[in-house]
Amino acid sequence: MDYLKYVDGDSLLHKLDPRTKFVFFIVMAILTSLVKSGVALLFLLVFFVGMWNVCKIQKYIFILFQKLKVLLIFIFLLWFILGLFERPQAGNGPVFYEAMIPFVGGQKILFCFDWYDIYKGLVYSLRIFLMIASFYTVLLTTNFSEIILGLQKWKISYALAFGIGLVFQIIPMIITELKAIMEAQSSRGLEIEECSWTTKIKNYVTFSLPLLFRVISKGQSISLAMHYYQLNFSVHRTAYKKIKASKYDAYFILANAVAIAITVVLHMQFYIAV
Amino acid sequence: MDYRVNNISYKYTKDGEEVLKNVSFSIEKGKVTAIVGPSGCGKSTLVQIFSQVIPKLINNGELEGSFDVPQDTFVSVVSQNPENQLFGYGVEDAIAFGLENIGMPQEEIVERMEYVLDLLNLQYLRKRSVDNLSGGQRQSVCIASVLAMKPDILIMDEPVSSLDPNGKKMVQDILGQLSNSGNTTVLVDNNLVWSAGIVDHVIGLLEGEVVFDGSRDEFFKNFELQEKLGVILPQEVELYRELSKQFQDIDLFYTVDEAFAQLQGKVKKKEILQKEALKEEMEPIITVQQLVKQFNDGFTALDHVDAQLPKGKVIAILGQNGSGKTTFVRHLNGLHKPTSGEVLYKGTSILGKTVAQISKNIILVFQHPEHMLFEETVEKELTFCARMQEVPFSEEHITEVLEHYHLEKERETFPLNLSMGKKHMLTILSVLFSSADVIILDEPTLGMDGFLIEDLEKMIADLKAAGKTIIMISHEIPLVFRVSDYAVILNKGEKLFEGTKEKLVEREDIFEKINIMLPPVVQLSKKLGLDEVVFQVDDFMKKVLEQRNE
Repeated sequence: MDYLKYVDGDSLLHKLDPRTKFVFFIVMAILTSLVKSGVALLFLLVFFVGMWNVCKIQKYIFILFQKLKVLLIFIFLLWFILGLFERPQAGNGPVFYEAMIPFVGGQKILFCFDWYDIYKGLVYSLRIFLMIASFYTVLLTTNFSEIILGLQKWKISYALAFGIGLVFQIIPMIITELKAIMEAQSSRGLEIEECSWTTKIKNYVTFSLPLLFRVISKGQSISLAMHYYQLNFSVHRTAYKKIKASKYDAYFILANAVAIAITVVLHMQFYIAV
Repeated sequence: MDYRVNNISYKYTKDGEEVLKNVSFSIEKGKVTAIVGPSGCGKSTLVQIFSQVIPKLINNGELEGSFDVPQDTFVSVVSQNPENQLFGYGVEDAIAFGLENIGMPQEEIVERMEYVLDLLNLQYLRKRSVDNLSGGQRQSVCIASVLAMKPDILIMDEPVSSLDPNGKKMVQDILGQLSNSGNTTVLVDNNLVWSAGIVDHVIGLLEGEVVFDGSRDEFFKNFELQEKLGVILPQEVELYRELSKQFQDIDLFYTVDEAFAQLQGKVKKKEILQKEALKEEMEPIITVQQLVKQFNDGFTALDHVDAQLPKGKVIAILGQNGSGKTTFVRHLNGLHKPTSGEVLYKGTSILGKTVAQISKNIILVFQHPEHMLFEETVEKELTFCARMQEVPFSEEHITEVLEHYHLEKERETFPLNLSMGKKHMLTILSVLFSSADVIILDEPTLGMDGFLIEDLEKMIADLKAAGKTIIMISHEIPLVFRVSDYAVILNKGEKLFEGTKEKLVEREDIFEKINIMLPPVVQLSKKLGLDEVVFQVDDFMKKVLEQRNE
């Protein structure tokens, strides 16, 4: 299944003016960096899940979740382990185990396994997931032509807008190329499935050479094509398509405004310092 | 006035070798000019000079002479890989890209959009995304996007090299339309199979020099030169070459009907000899049972496919793009795991094994050699499979293979610096050093000129003689019928046919269904009433002479 690329569709999110989606991402990025209440974040997750389901992109978000699993577990464990060496800083939740354990030099340190360790780990993982997922929601529903148009409407220079759009066109190409290289080499006898982690890492280093050459060759082809199409950033470009906000943008903004308001209220009501 | 190429010489570096030497010829306005020649003859350099890539983007070489065109002549190029040339998510975005770049007002862009979509009959694609188009459709959109800018000269650089027969037909029709509407087109391609009927003028290049400048008919009558340039010819022209040696009054022909019109009185019609059924037992080396592949998005690529692929034979897997051919062969070496069904190698399931383990018995050579090459020298690349599979090899064997396939000079060369055809040949040669006895070749002729294809045919024959089984996906239908013994035909994920090629040619209904033409030599032997259906030009000639009217 496609990953890290636009998914064709006719959902509410697809119909939005790209600028509305850019604002959505910026607002959600700020909101998830500020909101630290588990309840508020949980509500935001429910809102997001509802939005993904309505727009039928939930299976792509699930793939994202699977790809992020390791990162999310890492973040959870990091905060969880750090929390094991201190008492809960807030709330009155249960403490499952507490003891002073021996440490180097005859010293003892506190070991305290409590609800707060789990809470803190979950909150940080959820914040990161929601932040990435809001960006991915925009990526899944905005093709690179719309990204360029939207950025241009924000008076961003065409050279920069085109560069950003090109990145979103090229990322899926690079992923496809890497997959093809790995498959081609395993077809020639290179073991990449049943091997140790060190061999796997070594293999990735080996794959990077043909990948680099493929990317360079693609880059050369793209620059030739830009020449054939007389792309000159100093010439004023016109646009075939026009973008403008519609009633769907109004519905979307309204729904988000309500969700943000509820999140803020929940954050204030159920705030536990993390 | 025609466009004139005036004594052009070019070196990529000041002290390097000349890749073009005093090249002079004219590009006739409103005509289709084909530039042909083997890999490395300077065709691509010439395209770069015409399109101003040299000296605007590549400016460290030494260019002499000139390309004389009126001021503001706009030259644009359609390259062999449209995916690297199309900018924009949708078809309309991609077509509008160039027009937006030149600052054309929106109303005019709309007019141009309608003009090209109508001209090339592509209105039905306008709301589609580029990603979801077939290869042929993508190349057509690429041509449309360039044509929309109304170039004075349109250069097409191997535009059909990666297309299936449907895609080739689509581009062929477009080239025909361009020719009829008086566009100046330059076709740079050593494969004239698909364009022979449309080309007006041919330029032959060899080692950077013009060795032919004349009409299409003159070129197709110059057999010695065709051979020297390694041009891939339509089988009709090959037939003409042989027939003209035996019959005085044969005129050059480009279609089976034209050939038939000239030959029908000269050959006695006979009934096809009913030969005794082939007694040879075909022992299967790979057995596929009720293979189903459904992808995550719900698309069923293979639907209950059964097949018994015989040992020691050359097996062709045929079908249009999207028929399931590649998905099918990727199950044979374990790259795909079936949704249901079984794949057996010599009676044992391969499903629990890794791809690398399976490669000891069944090896797949990919379509794009760049995915496979990653050693520093040709020699190391050649022995890659052997080293991975711990198969012993000797220096003598390496030298023998390199000499036999004309790569000895490139022994220490960085593989990615080879021509596309040679890169492909190198990836195929590397499997000669592996332990596998089943070799799968996916589009092995991609990027190869006539010389390399000849080498490839010999290699396939040698491998078969050594008892290996070759499974081949190829859109080069005459080649497929020349080298294969057995065929599996897929259509929309279902198996339509499995059996010998002799049985296959009896089933014209299948070819109609999959929209692939039988090779000209097969069609002609049937139409003329030869007592045996033949697959090669030499066999055709033998039969024609046997049945010749005195």
